[in-house]
Amino acid sequence: MRILLIEDDTGLGFAVRDHIAAEGHVPDLAPSLSYARDLTATMAYDLILLDLGLPDGRGLDFLKALRAKGSVTPVMILTAHDRITERIEGLNAGADDYIVKPFDLAELSARIAAVARRYTGNPNPLITLGRLEIDLASHAIHSPDGRIDLSQREWVIFEVLLQRPGQIVSKSQIEDQLYSFDAEVESNTIEVYISRLRKKLGKEVVQTIRGLGYRLGMP
Amino acid sequence: MRLMQSLRGQLAVGVSAILVLLWLGAVLGSAYVVRREIDESFDAALQETGDRILPLAVVELIAAGDGIAAQRILPITQHDEKITYDVRDASGKVLLYSHDADPTVFDHIKGEGFFTTADHRVFSRSAVSGQYTIQVAEPLTHRQTALRETILAMLVPLGVLLPLSLFGVALWVSLGLRPLSHLSVALRLKGADDLTPLALDGLRTELVPIEQAANRLMARLKRALDAERSFAANAAHELRTPIAATLAQTQRLVAESPEGPLRQRAVTVEAELKRLARLAEKLMQLARAEGGAMLGTEHADLVPILHMVLTDFARSSPGRVKAEVPTIPVPSRLDSDAFAVLARNLIENALVHGSQSSVTVMLTAEGVFSVTNDCAPIPAEVLTTLTMRFERAGARSSGSGLGLAIAAGIARGLGQDLSLRSPVAKDRGFQVTLALT
Repeated sequence: MRILLIEDDTGLGFAVRDHIAAEGHVPDLAPSLSYARDLTATMAYDLILLDLGLPDGRGLDFLKALRAKGSVTPVMILTAHDRITERIEGLNAGADDYIVKPFDLAELSARIAAVARRYTGNPNPLITLGRLEIDLASHAIHSPDGRIDLSQREWVIFEVLLQRPGQIVSKSQIEDQLYSFDAEVESNTIEVYISRLRKKLGKEVVQTIRGLGYRLGMP
Repeated sequence: MRLMQSLRGQLAVGVSAILVLLWLGAVLGSAYVVRREIDESFDAALQETGDRILPLAVVELIAAGDGIAAQRILPITQHDEKITYDVRDASGKVLLYSHDADPTVFDHIKGEGFFTTADHRVFSRSAVSGQYTIQVAEPLTHRQTALRETILAMLVPLGVLLPLSLFGVALWVSLGLRPLSHLSVALRLKGADDLTPLALDGLRTELVPIEQAANRLMARLKRALDAERSFAANAAHELRTPIAATLAQTQRLVAESPEGPLRQRAVTVEAELKRLARLAEKLMQLARAEGGAMLGTEHADLVPILHMVLTDFARSSPGRVKAEVPTIPVPSRLDSDAFAVLARNLIENALVHGSQSSVTVMLTAEGVFSVTNDCAPIPAEVLTTLTMRFERAGARSSGSGLGLAIAAGIARGLGQDLSLRSPVAKDRGFQVTLALT
């Protein structure tokens, strides 16, 4: 998932960013609201992790403005404000979840996965795709022949396709999910990962729609 | 004694006592004056009697000539004679006397004027150059009776009027002190944490400064408590981010370190950081709880707050917390955040210190909140210490030892006491109950 992390504390921001990246997501770290606004204006995010106390404004105002514009991007608040009334205010402003600092990174991962599942319309982390049993929470794939392990980037591409069953996903959309804002994109990387996915999961799992992109198939 | 401890009683008794004393003083003064007047009147009557009888007696005696025997004057009608008299010659021989006259009364009277014997008042007057002397006597009991009856006539109405006066005084004092009673009730009904200013209508001029002083004091206390709470909240807020950053960085260190002593050390640091985070959190909650001011400005529904807390526990301890929450609103003056902290601490306490079976959380429609867990029975002497800080009730010490102290602080802020019970049923279990309305 492409995730925007809005956090002004660099110590926390870097650690969360690295953790999210290690989980296979693509994070962009914005240390201020103005930077976050620029990013959201140019990039579609699957999730926003939002701190409330930022140097150039309140996170809640950013969230309200986002919702006022009609954005349905899931937003998870990460904040030091621990009062239940502040939590209610945050959820009422349109947040999907509310985590109070300090938090366990593993819990953050679980919450991110839960929010992502809610937005894809399937809160169940277990998916069956043909002969494959997929656990979205633990990133585990089982076939009748046994467990199949994917690399981080292979999983990201597979998850992008899983989240859009029946839809064509363009190469640039996959690149957006795979690389952070300032990363160098190599020319044929996507093709290489698609090829590896087919090798591990079966040729039918990813269909190539010539000139348009890729689509999830039924292995 | 209790009557005298009351301002109303003291005033009523004091005013009544002063009234009675003044009245008795007035009666005594009047009695003194009346006695003098009675003496004067009775003396005048004696003198008038003597002065009127003596000329008649002299004429009679001169007409009768010398050598007559003592003559007793009979009354026209029989009656008890109050005033008696006799007429004597210069030698003291009795010439005339009234029908009830006792000569011994007059035997020792020498000279003219008024005399008082042991039991009579006597007036003596002479005529014809001392040849004839009349002595008129009146028993002192006659005057004493007159004086007693006069004083009694003054005291009898007093006996009736005095209770009426006392009742009137008590009623008036009660009415007069009613504004003071209102002020007293308003202050008494304010809970220990209710710092809203008093606003009483119709307060008397003398009581307005008291109301103003009480309001100033409460405002000052509120400012101090707000500052304390604000400090606790700010400190909690400011501590959370660096702790979160350190914990997250440490967790990344654990994730990125190769297996070995370095990773193991990082895992230890992570565990200690989590402990530090929990302790900081609990200490801040305790500071807030003991800072008081747990009452909100208006009643808030506890049900959605409890649902939110229960959702958190359903995520962190799936299947271990069973709840009975009413479907109707349960309003309470307890601050919503304080209730969330209270519920969280009691449930955490039950999860940490109870057995592995489920914890039962119950909120009744009447606002009684209880958390029950299974455990070995806790001795009564231990129960009394559980709400002390850093008390862990036994060997298991994974908790902070502050949960029940925080809950007790919040309960005190609400003006209530936590009710701790063990065993709950079948010689097992522990239950904490608190009325929140």
